Amino acid sequence: MKASTRSTLLAVAMAAAFAAGSAQAADPIRIGGIYLMSGSAASYGEFAKQGATLAIDEINAQGGVLGRQLSIQIEDSQGKAATAIQVARKMVYQDNVDLMMGLDSSGVAQGLVPVLPELGKPFMITHAATPDVTGKLCNKYTFRLSVNVNQNMMGAADIAAGTGAVKWTTIGPDYAFGHQSWEFFSKYLKEKKPDAVLMEDQLAFPRFGAEDFTPFINSVMESKPDGILISLWGGDLVNFVRQANDRGFFKQGFKVLMSVGAATEVLTALGDQMPADIWLGTRYWYGSWDNPINTKFVEAYKKAWNQPPSYNAEGAYMAVYSFKDAIEKAGAVEPDKIIAALAGLTVPAPTGDLTFRAGDHQALIGPTWGLTGAMNEADKIRSLTQLHNFEGASVTPPVDPECKL
Amino acid sequence: MAGLGLALLNSLDIGLLLFIIAVGLNIIFGVLNVINFAHGALYMLGAYMSFALMAGLGLPFWATLLMAPLVVAGVAILIDRSMLRFVYQREVADSLLLTFALLLILNESVRLIWGTGIHVIDPPVPLRGAIDLPGGLSYPRYSVFVLIVGLCTLLGLWLLFNRTRLGKIMRAAALDREMAQVLCINTRLVITGAFAFGAWLAALGGAVAAPMRAIDPGMGDKIIIESFIVVVIGGLGSFPGALLGAIVLGLIHGLGGRYLPDANLVLPYIGMALVLLFKPHGLMGARKSA
Repeated sequence: MKASTRSTLLAVAMAAAFAAGSAQAADPIRIGGIYLMSGSAASYGEFAKQGATLAIDEINAQGGVLGRQLSIQIEDSQGKAATAIQVARKMVYQDNVDLMMGLDSSGVAQGLVPVLPELGKPFMITHAATPDVTGKLCNKYTFRLSVNVNQNMMGAADIAAGTGAVKWTTIGPDYAFGHQSWEFFSKYLKEKKPDAVLMEDQLAFPRFGAEDFTPFINSVMESKPDGILISLWGGDLVNFVRQANDRGFFKQGFKVLMSVGAATEVLTALGDQMPADIWLGTRYWYGSWDNPINTKFVEAYKKAWNQPPSYNAEGAYMAVYSFKDAIEKAGAVEPDKIIAALAGLTVPAPTGDLTFRAGDHQALIGPTWGLTGAMNEADKIRSLTQLHNFEGASVTPPVDPECKL
Repeated sequence: MAGLGLALLNSLDIGLLLFIIAVGLNIIFGVLNVINFAHGALYMLGAYMSFALMAGLGLPFWATLLMAPLVVAGVAILIDRSMLRFVYQREVADSLLLTFALLLILNESVRLIWGTGIHVIDPPVPLRGAIDLPGGLSYPRYSVFVLIVGLCTLLGLWLLFNRTRLGKIMRAAALDREMAQVLCINTRLVITGAFAFGAWLAALGGAVAAPMRAIDPGMGDKIIIESFIVVVIGGLGSFPGALLGAIVLGLIHGLGGRYLPDANLVLPYIGMALVLLFKPHGLMGARKSA
C-alpha cells in the first residue's frame, strides 16, 4: 500500500515538474513581487497580487511584451527586511527574474534598497513610503510609483490648514513611518499655517501591532487637541477606530486626519464603524478619477475580484504597465536599458499621466484626500466626499541633494 | 487623578484578558510539560470561530461565546491524539518544534479558509457604548464585560483547582504523572483533557477579544509574545503567577502607554529582564524538575 502511494506521489510530482518545464519553454519575462503575504497586513499583499495579476492577464491576452508573455511570482516579505533581502536574492540568482516590484513597509524598504545595486535588476516600489529610498538611500535600480510620506504630508498639511484647527498632535506606529509622517506633517503645516501649535510632548506612538490602543486614546483625549493626524494603518487602524468609537474619541469635536485611512482593506473591515466627517488620505482612490483608463481599470478589477481596487492593487497594476512601457521603449529586457527607459518616462495611469523623475526615480504623484460621507451601499464602505486630488508636481519637493544615482 | 483611575481600569481589563490566555499556556505546561507555541494560533482560531458563527451562521454573540471555545477544544483533542501525545515524554525542545509547526499550519489554514482580509464583529447591543463613571469619566461597557469574564474565569479556576476532585487530579498529574498512574488515575485522559482545557481558555480569550479587536491572520502571533512575557514574569506553570504576570503586563501597557509613551516599546521587555535578573523562575515560579 505504502509503496504504491509513494509512487503515485512521485508520479504527480513528476507531472507537475514536467508541466512547469513546458511552461518555461515559452520563456516569459519574469517579474518577482515581494509583498506582505502573511500576518495582520496580509490583505495588502493580496490586493497587490490581484492588481498585478490583472495587468499581466490583460497584457498577455494582447500578445505580451515584445512578443513574450509576462509571468509573476509573488513571495512573502513577512514585514522583515532580512526576509525580503533573502527572497530578492533567491529571485534573482535562482529564479532568474528580470524585474522586481513590491514592498509594503518603510522598514523593509530601507533594508532592501541598499542591496539592489548588487542584484542588478530594476525594482519598482509600489507602497512603502519612506522618503529615504528615493532620497539619501536612492540608487539607479530603485524606482517608486507610489506616493511617499513627503508628498502625502504636503497634502495632509494643506487639508489640516484648511480646517482652521490650531493645536495638532498625532497617533502613529512607533517606527519610521509614524515618526516621519509627523516630522513632515509638522514641517509643512508650519509653512502653510505659521500660527499652528504642535503638541510635541503629547504625541502618541504605540507599538506597531499593539492590540490595545486605549491608553493612547485616553491620553490624547485628555490633552484636548484641535486636530490630530493618525498614521496607523492596516489592522492597527481597524483596532484603533473600534476602540476609539467606544470611548467617544470621534465626538470630541477635534478634526481627524488619517494619513492612509482610505485603504479599502480597512474601509471594508470597518464598514459604517468608520466615522463620518473625518479626513482620509490615500495613494489612490478608485472613485476620484474620471478618465477612461481609470474607468476601465475599476470595471475590470471589480469583474475579476468582486471588490473595488485598493491603492495597493492600483500600485501593483501600474508597476506591471510601467515595466511594459519601459521595455517597449527600450526594445530589450536588459536591466540597464530598462532603467534608462524608465527614468523620465511618462506612463498613462488611472491617476492621469505618471512621470518618473529622472533625478531620483520618484514618480510625480499626489495623494487623494476626502471627507467620509454616507455609506456606499454597493461597495459596502464609506464614501469619500469633497475629494482633493493633489497634483504630483505641486506636492513633490525637489530632488534631495543627498540622492546620487 | 481621574486619568490615573482610568489608566488603572484599562490596565485591569488588558491584564485580565491576558490572564485568560496565559493561564491556559501554564496549565498545558504544568500537566503536559509542553510549551505550547501554537497557543496564540488557538486564540486566533477562537476569534475566527466567533466570526464564522456570527457572520456566517447568524448566531447571537452569547451563543458564539459558548460554542467557539468548545469547537477549538475539539480541534485541540484532535491535535493531541494525532500529534502531541508522541512528544510528552521527550525534551521540551521537541514539543517546541512540534507546536511551532502547528502554529504555521493553523495560521495557513486560517488564511486558506477565511482569506487575508481583516474582519470585525460587533458586540451585542447591551455591551455597546460607554458607561459614565463619577468624575466625568466614561468607560466602555465592553471593557466592563471583559473584566467580568476575567474575574469569573479566575474564580472558576480557583474553585476547580482547590475545591473539586477533577482539579486535584489535574494537579496530581502535573506533580507526578507516574504516581498518579499508580493511584489508578487515567493520566492519558487527564493529559488530553488538560490540553483541550488550555486550548479552550485560549479560544475563550479569542472569542472575548473578537468584538473589540481586528480579526486578522496576524492576531495570534501578537498575543503569543504577550503570553510568553506574562509567563516569564509570573513563573512558568504557576497559576497565581499567570494572574500576577498578566496584571503586571497590563499595568505596563496601561500606565506605560499613558505616562511613558516614548518607552512603551521596551517597557515589557525591561520588566521581563528585571524579573529574570532577580527572580529567574518568575515572581511566583518554583524550581521545577522537568
